[in-house]
Amino acid sequence: MRPLDEKETTAVFEKIFKFTGNNLKNIVENPSHEGPDKEPGRYCFRLHKNKVYYVSDSLVKRATNVARTKLASIGTCVGRFTHGGNFHLTIECLNLLAANAKHKVWLKPTSEMSFLYANHVLKGGLGRITESIAPGDGVVVFSMSDLPLGFGVAAKSTQDCRKLDPNAIVVLHQADIGEYLRMENQHEQIIEE
Amino acid sequence: MFTRGYQVSSSGLLIVCLIYLQTEDVDGPLVKLPPPTTKLPREKHLPKPKPPTKWEEFAKKKGIKKRKKDKVVWDEQTGTWKRRFGYDHVNDDKDIPIIEAKMTDEPGEDPFAKRQDDKKKRVEKQEKNRFQNLKQAAKLGALPSHVQLAATALPITGTQVPPKKVTKDELGNVAGMAATSTASGGKFDRKLPGEKPAKKQGKHRKFLPVVEGSGIGSREKEQTENVLNKLISKHSHEILNVDKAVTMYNVKKEKKARIERIKKGGHHQPQTS
Repeated sequence: MRPLDEKETTAVFEKIFKFTGNNLKNIVENPSHEGPDKEPGRYCFRLHKNKVYYVSDSLVKRATNVARTKLASIGTCVGRFTHGGNFHLTIECLNLLAANAKHKVWLKPTSEMSFLYANHVLKGGLGRITESIAPGDGVVVFSMSDLPLGFGVAAKSTQDCRKLDPNAIVVLHQADIGEYLRMENQHEQIIEE
Repeated sequence: MFTRGYQVSSSGLLIVCLIYLQTEDVDGPLVKLPPPTTKLPREKHLPKPKPPTKWEEFAKKKGIKKRKKDKVVWDEQTGTWKRRFGYDHVNDDKDIPIIEAKMTDEPGEDPFAKRQDDKKKRVEKQEKNRFQNLKQAAKLGALPSHVQLAATALPITGTQVPPKKVTKDELGNVAGMAATSTASGGKFDRKLPGEKPAKKQGKHRKFLPVVEGSGIGSREKEQTENVLNKLISKHSHEILNVDKAVTMYNVKKEKKARIERIKKGGHHQPQTS
């Protein structure tokens, strides 16, 4: 477990910035009231075995007591670095993103299941969409009851969405909460949480 | 050169000469060129006469002449024709089955081993003599060329090759460099006493401490803040939604204009938005 170096921090922040915009500041400087200290600590990012974790101060301090080989995970895993050095966000990041998202999309009940099976969001399944989305922006997908379902990348801008036919892709799927069930082997740690 | 009032170039002259020299051949016109007259200078000096070796001097003094030797010689031991030297040669120590004991022999001495030892000594002596001859020739600058080329310590006349000096540090690194070619990168090689571990190649990455003080330290805070600010400033041009700002401005302007009109015209003016 070690803190991220500059390059890694930029990579992580860039990815999150796509979804949150300036609310990234809220994520980074979030006060955490965990732990026995009276004063609120902060949340920090730690790298362990190519996975980036979003942990509170006090938890990090206590996690240093666990051996490196025996440490499974700490806090929430926001993403992982691939072998080639690229950073991808994982589904556990959803809560963070949903709270601070700039661009949101609401799905109709009929197309919720389709998205949870890792399909892209089609125009026909779109319920609501925030305005001023540019193509390539990060988008958090909600159900009509404001439950965060996952996140993805916008394929078209809001203006273009109006002119599309119902079978065109609006949001490219990146992660959804159905993954918890579909990828039981990979996400063993998540199931335990 | 001028002939008949117009210039003839040197290449033209050349071609004219070639045409004059040509003869007819089966395949076509053939030109037989005269033998060359320009002499090119030598790069290296003429070989110096090498001094006579010790044996040559002795032979001259005694009047011993060289004799032509046969390639194959009759071997008494095996009763066959064998080479004078080399692979399957005459008078081989291997072929002698029995050595008769002499009165002068000491008991407990192996005569076969003695023969081998004697041969070794003879060979060593010969090597020494050959080396002495070469040294003598080198002193006069008359080394045979193949030896001259092989001897890297000697400067070759005309192109001085300076001896390559290896510094103490380089020598220290050599073992480490060679060790990287092993399967485990030289990590588990047995080291001599006093040998320092090999230097790591590549940039030394220094990471911030995991926990500084209690959890997140000042250095880490500084780093994250820097990165955050850089990122936000990079995308600062996107904060402003130009269309939205323009519409808001227009709406404000119209509202202002409407209020002015009402003020000026009083309550007789109809309200226009």
